[in-house]
Amino acid sequence: MSRLSLKNGAPKEISDEDQCPVCKSSRYLNRNMRFLVNPECYHKMCESCVDRLFSSGPRVCPVAGCNRTLRRQRFRPQTFEDIQIEREVDVRKRVAKVFNRREDEFDSLLDYNNYLNEVEDLTFNLIHKIDVDATEKKLKAYEEANKAAIRENEVLASQETQSLQAQEAAEKEHARLRREAALREAEEERRERAEGRLDVINQLARGEGNADEIARQGRRTLLKKSTARRVGTGDEMDTSDSAGTGLQFKGLRRRARPEPEKPFEPFGEVTVEHEYFVLKGHYAWDFLDTARTSQTYRAGGYDISEYCSRALTDAFAGLAVFVGEEQTAT
Amino acid sequence: MRFNIDELEVLFPYPRIYPEQYAYMCDLKRTLDAGGHCVLEMPSGTGKTVSLLSLIIAYQQNSPEKRKLIYCSRTMSEIEKALAELRQLMAFRTEQLGYEEEFRGLGLTSRKNLCLHPSVKREKSGSVVDARCRSLTAGFVKEQKEKGEDVELCIYHENLDLLEPHNLIPPGVWTLDGLLQYGEQQKQCPYFTARRMMPFCNVIIYSYHYLLDPKIAERVSRELSKDCIVVFDEAHNIDNVCIESLSIDLTEDSLRKAARGANNLDRRITEMKASDAQKLQDEYSKLVEGLRGADQAREEDQFMSNPALPDDLLKEAVPGNIRRAEHFVSFLKRFIEYLKTRMKVLHVISETPLSFLAHLKELTFIERKPLRFCAERLTSLVRTLELTNIEDYQPLQEVATFATLVATYEHGFTLILEPFESDTATVPNPVLHFTCLDAAIAIKPVFDRFSSVIITSGTISPLEMYPRMLGFTTVIQESYTMTLARKTFLPMIITRGSDQNTISTSFQVRNDPSVVRNYGNILIEFCKLTPDGVVVFFPSYLYMESIISMWQGMGILDTVWKYKLILVETPDSQETSLALETYRTACNNGRGAVLLCVARGKVSEGIDFDHHYGRAVINIGVPYQYTESRILKARLEFLRENYRIRESDFLSFDAMRHAAQCLGRVLRGKDDYGIMVLADRRFLKKRGQLPKWIQQSLPDSDTNLSVDQATAVAKAFLKGMSKAYPAHLQEGISTWDMDDLRRHQAKMAEEEIRMLRKEAEMRERERVRRRVVEDEEDEYGDMEVDYDDLVPV
Repeated sequence: MSRLSLKNGAPKEISDEDQCPVCKSSRYLNRNMRFLVNPECYHKMCESCVDRLFSSGPRVCPVAGCNRTLRRQRFRPQTFEDIQIEREVDVRKRVAKVFNRREDEFDSLLDYNNYLNEVEDLTFNLIHKIDVDATEKKLKAYEEANKAAIRENEVLASQETQSLQAQEAAEKEHARLRREAALREAEEERRERAEGRLDVINQLARGEGNADEIARQGRRTLLKKSTARRVGTGDEMDTSDSAGTGLQFKGLRRRARPEPEKPFEPFGEVTVEHEYFVLKGHYAWDFLDTARTSQTYRAGGYDISEYCSRALTDAFAGLAVFVGEEQTAT
Repeated sequence: MRFNIDELEVLFPYPRIYPEQYAYMCDLKRTLDAGGHCVLEMPSGTGKTVSLLSLIIAYQQNSPEKRKLIYCSRTMSEIEKALAELRQLMAFRTEQLGYEEEFRGLGLTSRKNLCLHPSVKREKSGSVVDARCRSLTAGFVKEQKEKGEDVELCIYHENLDLLEPHNLIPPGVWTLDGLLQYGEQQKQCPYFTARRMMPFCNVIIYSYHYLLDPKIAERVSRELSKDCIVVFDEAHNIDNVCIESLSIDLTEDSLRKAARGANNLDRRITEMKASDAQKLQDEYSKLVEGLRGADQAREEDQFMSNPALPDDLLKEAVPGNIRRAEHFVSFLKRFIEYLKTRMKVLHVISETPLSFLAHLKELTFIERKPLRFCAERLTSLVRTLELTNIEDYQPLQEVATFATLVATYEHGFTLILEPFESDTATVPNPVLHFTCLDAAIAIKPVFDRFSSVIITSGTISPLEMYPRMLGFTTVIQESYTMTLARKTFLPMIITRGSDQNTISTSFQVRNDPSVVRNYGNILIEFCKLTPDGVVVFFPSYLYMESIISMWQGMGILDTVWKYKLILVETPDSQETSLALETYRTACNNGRGAVLLCVARGKVSEGIDFDHHYGRAVINIGVPYQYTESRILKARLEFLRENYRIRESDFLSFDAMRHAAQCLGRVLRGKDDYGIMVLADRRFLKKRGQLPKWIQQSLPDSDTNLSVDQATAVAKAFLKGMSKAYPAHLQEGISTWDMDDLRRHQAKMAEEEIRMLRKEAEMRERERVRRRVVEDEEDEYGDMEVDYDDLVPV
């Protein structure tokens, strides 16, 4: 740890791995000691120190020279041994959220690589605190400018991971099934063999026919069975295998962009077809003309076609109804 | 002798040939003609290498395109043996043909074995030699020298530049020693001579790794053309070699070192920025273009190298976010830090590369794509920074290789994190195994690139397993039996002790006193009756230790002691070589010795016990792998799901190939003789999986013996062996001279004509009938495995 130091003038960490730099208690004294870090300054301290210092609200980091205010909530266990890497990964997380362009969005590989290079430069600057302000500004600007694209790619990425997980689970299940099948098969074979043997012994015991002949016969049937089974299972395995490849819809998913969302359909895509009339775009009627032109009608949301369709529906509503039928039905 | 195989004139450097050698050559030629791959099994000690070489050289010299031969073997000593054979063959050819062919044959091995530099060659470790060599030979060092800086150069390497680049060494066959001597004479570096001459060679002999390990193959074997003939000799373990070459184990220590390496890189970058920013800028602008365009020549001095990458990836440009050197280093640091956090977990985790990548992305925002370029980018950076002390960056390179592999392959790999060394350990010592499960991945490039790949070994049964596991199709797979004028080896299976208790090393009974005592009795009896050396193989070190201590308690060792010196193999290689030396001395004089070793250890793999060094080999127990290992479990599962090889099938295949390998240790030629004992009840059912040549001399009467019966059989056998058997009795049966061969060829030709005629006559009827017959034959053929099950005991 000692060879690593943060460049912002934070003191070097001189403690060895098993000592809390704040309270100096070590793993020898406290066996279950856990170290936590805060992504604000990445100074590590033990759990009890965090409890002690930050339970009554935010405070300044206890490490000398580090004047950052820390909150208890943001403390978390350290993933990487190297604090530098821990920090780097946090930075990357942030950058990767914004710069999530995909290769297929670029015309050529060269462009994509240049893009990657650019992004890496930004990240590198952030990590090593070179021109932080300028870089942050760039980051912000890019984020603002490309909000939609970022969102879209996020969705894609999450879909990808999901399909990957699904595929993995399916594969695992598949493997399990095959393993079970193999076990069953072996078991069956053993059973059959034992049966065949018993059969031969029984025949021999009855003393009918030539002993050699019986033994040979027994062997032959056994072998036939086993070869038949071997062939059979081979076929079966093959089909199951092809089913396995059929399951891999990974490529498909990835290519197909999600379809643009359809407008909300209150009737669940049931469209009402008028049987007896066709709604025209224009009806020549003075009353309607006033409604069509007048600001006051339209401001209230009055829709002429709506009116027309209702009027026509009312007019034709009774056509398919026969009073006699209705009465018998009730 | 000179003879023809279908119009092809083959020169064979011995006056006599074995029938199986002839058959082997015929099949090889058919394979080469057809342009496909093959798997051939030929008993050890029947001159496999020489028949292979003489056929392929004949083929090569008689064809217009002169297809190059790449001969891969496993150990240094085998490489040297093959080179010596080749040399002899070429000398014979020159003598017979009356002129010298334009021919170059070279062997390649590591720098450590081929270095001449006075101080570098004294280094003990191979990686140090490599690193120091680089610091003396790398391109930038030379540039610095030319600029007038005070740097040291290797004079041997410099002298190479004065020679014609395609004629660094005169034609001929160069053994490794010969190469060293020539290098010393001419003051030129033997290693780089061999490397640079590879494109101009007719035959290259080197170790598997130069072709299979993608990290090395990329540099060494890239330029070999497509029509090369590739031979893997002693290939019974090739799947494991493939898997090892792509598997990586990471420990906390290696991560720490890798982190240190990354910090060093960081420092170097800062230094370079201050002193020579232009170079970094140059590299950057090159990387913008694309990886391969960047390093126009992937020079031979490149030390760090990338694992198998698909070609399309290599043509692509490096992702933008690791283009800058400092970005890349911070990327590496983040990755290492992530691995460190993974190591802290205290329970076993097994996951797929995909889920690993998903978690990685969630935690550190490392995407898959830059990860794939990691190894390549590191190589480029190291070259730009002109680092000389490469060995410090080895762990970092390992991490980078891991990154590349994990991001490249979705299937066929698994990640297993084992926090504890054993189940009982309490102090965590985490290891992250990144294991390759699919042997086909590493060898696929070889099969894709070369049209003829020949896989051969003394024990490679069952043959059909290899094409299945390695994912290729064969033109020919064949197993040859050994033609013998008299039975010179005696395989037998002991299933019971003298007290009629069955013996087995299966887990439930292995520590039963009766089983242990019966095994002890076998040892005593065979030590009594065999002259000279006895080799005993146990399934594991653990079991060997426990059984030895029990034998000690029972007084068995004291009895053995009366007849033989007892020597034991240990995991420590130096101790083992001392034991081996003592064993050989003891066999050379006096009553001989007994060597207790492990079926998967060093002794079983590369050491021959020819003649009096091994008159009996005893396999105690079936050498199964440790089945509780998680890596093995993962591999078994993978094999079952992808290649439809059942767990039990694979395990028993693997055990039997090791058993066969152990048995083959004692028989190294036709004039050799030995007893092969398989002492376990379970061998009875598995004998069908032994190589054909062993099965052929294992009669049913010898497959279910008790210890006293076995002793009697062995005694009778040894008595027979002790009779003088002059070589001329073998002639015509197990060795052929020219006349025998001609007779055989004539017979074969006649046979063929007769067959053809017959076939033409009754093709229709025959076809129908044969199908029926074949079916039935098959049923009988496979049967014997289960037969004993059915007979009530």
